[in-house]
Amino acid sequence: MQENNSPQIVDCHCHIASEEHTPRSFIEGSVGNMVVALSAQGVPVSAKKLINMFVNKMQDPLCDGLVAEMKAAGIRKSVLLIADFSYALKDCKLTIEESFARHREVLLRHPDRFEVFGGVDPRWGKDGLALFERSLAEFRFRGFKVYPPCGFSPSDPSLFPFYELCAHYHVPVLLHTGPTSPVLDFSISSPFLIDEAARLFPTVNFILAHGAVSFVEECVMLCRFRPNVYLDISGYEATLGYDPSASAVKHVLSLGITHKVLFGTDFPVFRLQGEQKDFLEPLLGENGALSELNGQEKSLVLYKNIERLIPVGVAAAA
Amino acid sequence: MEIDAKFDEKVLALIAEAVPGKFKKTHITPETNLQKELGLDSLGMLSLVFRFEELYGIDIAQMGVDVNIAKLKTVADLLNVGREIVSRIPAAQ
Repeated sequence: MQENNSPQIVDCHCHIASEEHTPRSFIEGSVGNMVVALSAQGVPVSAKKLINMFVNKMQDPLCDGLVAEMKAAGIRKSVLLIADFSYALKDCKLTIEESFARHREVLLRHPDRFEVFGGVDPRWGKDGLALFERSLAEFRFRGFKVYPPCGFSPSDPSLFPFYELCAHYHVPVLLHTGPTSPVLDFSISSPFLIDEAARLFPTVNFILAHGAVSFVEECVMLCRFRPNVYLDISGYEATLGYDPSASAVKHVLSLGITHKVLFGTDFPVFRLQGEQKDFLEPLLGENGALSELNGQEKSLVLYKNIERLIPVGVAAAA
Repeated sequence: MEIDAKFDEKVLALIAEAVPGKFKKTHITPETNLQKELGLDSLGMLSLVFRFEELYGIDIAQMGVDVNIAKLKTVADLLNVGREIVSRIPAAQ
């Protein structure tokens, strides 16, 4: 497939589209909200049918489909995030170690197309910490993914050894903020919960996922006043139905923090809605969310900010 | 099943029913973009698919038809896929 000639773009927030890494219970929970919304409109809907439609979009374990979509969209590189659900949700198909191994296979299969941030639930203890260090030292992973709704604060001391490794290997932390599948705990998804860790680990950079759509005011405040806190815009696709020009993203970009905002899509979450190139148009189109930025600001958001955090093409260094 | 003369009219009525209030005044033509001009996100598109199934008393998945919602961009795309699906419905159904 011919590569699109759009500007350089690095997507800082993707996942492998496979049930190997996202348990069925997580998907079922997410579908529950759609069933409620459709039923309220009198639409004849079955949860089973919706789940099957989602699962059909989760058949890309080696990321060949994602690479094709990236090429069509002009996305040069994507960061694959491993959210460790294996402690909180008991129907995961793989252990977290196996999940890491699968991501390493994808890295080898598509050289130069991906970076991986490994995630480990801190309740796995020393084994989890050892796995994470191996991922940085041996697997060429480039960051740490934290998923607080699984049941822990991102400033829980059990995570500090992981953050020490991040400081040592000069890699960032990306943490989920805001709502998620209803099978998980929303009450610990506030971005403010990262403040203690961000203060205690000033040499580690923390990225607040979904910061343009969840807890926006709080995320912007943290980005503005904590030098080591950033946000990604992934999840903006959820707003495109009622806001086709992604004005939620435009609003965040108007607040003087373009040096802290990272492009991200959360692939494959919105795969029923469109392909990667469809999600770039509301940002890069004539009146899109990035239309009021100058060239320098656009390049910061689209790739330079994430490249500052994980210099592309440079292996993590101890 | 043969495509009946009122097929387009029926599908356009389904679309109009699914369009959020904010976009109700949009004049619907075959070229109209489903998401940008009619505000149909994934939930809106799913609503359309399920109402289409109800209208024709079918289960698209069981028919072996792979409808890729993500590739449906315009009203014309939707009409074309709808015609293809209806043409595959056995006459006796």
